[in-house]
Amino acid sequence: MSLVASTSPRASQKRFVFVLAAIAIVGAGVLGYVATRPKGGPVAVDPNLPPATAEGYLIGKEDAPVKIIEFADFECPACGQWATLTEPDVRARLIRTGLASIRFFDFPLPMHKNTWAASNAAACASDQGKFWEMHDHLFYAQDLWNGEATSSPDKKMKAFAKELGLDEKKFDECFDSQVHYPRIKASGAEAERRGVDQTPTFIIGGQRYPGNVPYDQMKKLVEAELAKLSKSDTSKKGAK
Amino acid sequence: MRRMVIAAISLVGLFVAMYLWLYKLGVLGQLSCSIGSCETVNTSKWATLLGQPVALWGVCFYVAMLAVAVLGTLERFERDRRIAVALMVMTSGGVLFSGWLTYLELAVIHAICQWCVVSAVLVLVMFALSVAELKAGSQER
Repeated sequence: MSLVASTSPRASQKRFVFVLAAIAIVGAGVLGYVATRPKGGPVAVDPNLPPATAEGYLIGKEDAPVKIIEFADFECPACGQWATLTEPDVRARLIRTGLASIRFFDFPLPMHKNTWAASNAAACASDQGKFWEMHDHLFYAQDLWNGEATSSPDKKMKAFAKELGLDEKKFDECFDSQVHYPRIKASGAEAERRGVDQTPTFIIGGQRYPGNVPYDQMKKLVEAELAKLSKSDTSKKGAK
Repeated sequence: MRRMVIAAISLVGLFVAMYLWLYKLGVLGQLSCSIGSCETVNTSKWATLLGQPVALWGVCFYVAMLAVAVLGTLERFERDRRIAVALMVMTSGGVLFSGWLTYLELAVIHAICQWCVVSAVLVLVMFALSVAELKAGSQER
């Protein structure tokens, strides 16, 4: 497309401004739309579901007032982004302050070929009390071991165990025996049972929040849950 | 005329870079990526340079390109050779940087981000136009 069909400089300048304005309007419109479109709203979780049989991994106080459940896949880039960019704030301001806890459940997705190795490594690290260290390491170094980086993730997992100072012999035995595969499978089944269909997905106060929940939203949700809890405490006291 | 086309391409590139930058900021949930693995590339350690997202450097580059190209279309600077030289220098840097990023995608990250490819093509076209602009300026003299 020619920006200047006319020979007059003024006309060509006008046409130029028009083209720039058109690009700006279309670009701003598209960006505005993708930035504000709903990222998958909350979905109610059936309250009659029996308690989870899969254990998950807890960070924070067992009796924290707000219990956040996370379903994630170690090889999923969005989960990696949440773990590396958002989770540090969540841990510092919501978990360490005792307001909330997170229980992490593996949800290995079939399209990620190395994710089972990662879940297995995290479970074996958990045996030695270092699940969260391995969790963080796996997400921070995701591009070093994911399906696009290597077809033999086992070596990487064993190297990570060494870097984290785990007992290598115990770790290797655990890792090679795949003793934790049933646990990982149970976590995945738990995700499916709760209707989780993407990672990461968070469950807070009986609502399912699919996608990368930003810190500010997470804080608001936790505060809303705390407000609900304090309201029900007050009404219980009032009833006595 | 060439400067106008460069300005228009810069504006398109600016929106592409802003899209990737907003993703890095967490404003967008997921990248729309029909070809390749945009998220793998944009969440890799190579997506950050000097403590800032590469996409932010892209935004700065396209803003600078847009400003210089628009300036070059003003009557006062229409025949100013410094504009042609500046465009040439900037797009040369852009081509080298895009080349380096494409190499990382192919050889190190083993994933391609379609938006990064779009940006690389835009930079390449702007470079070709800048070369033509500089040559045309030299012939006029």
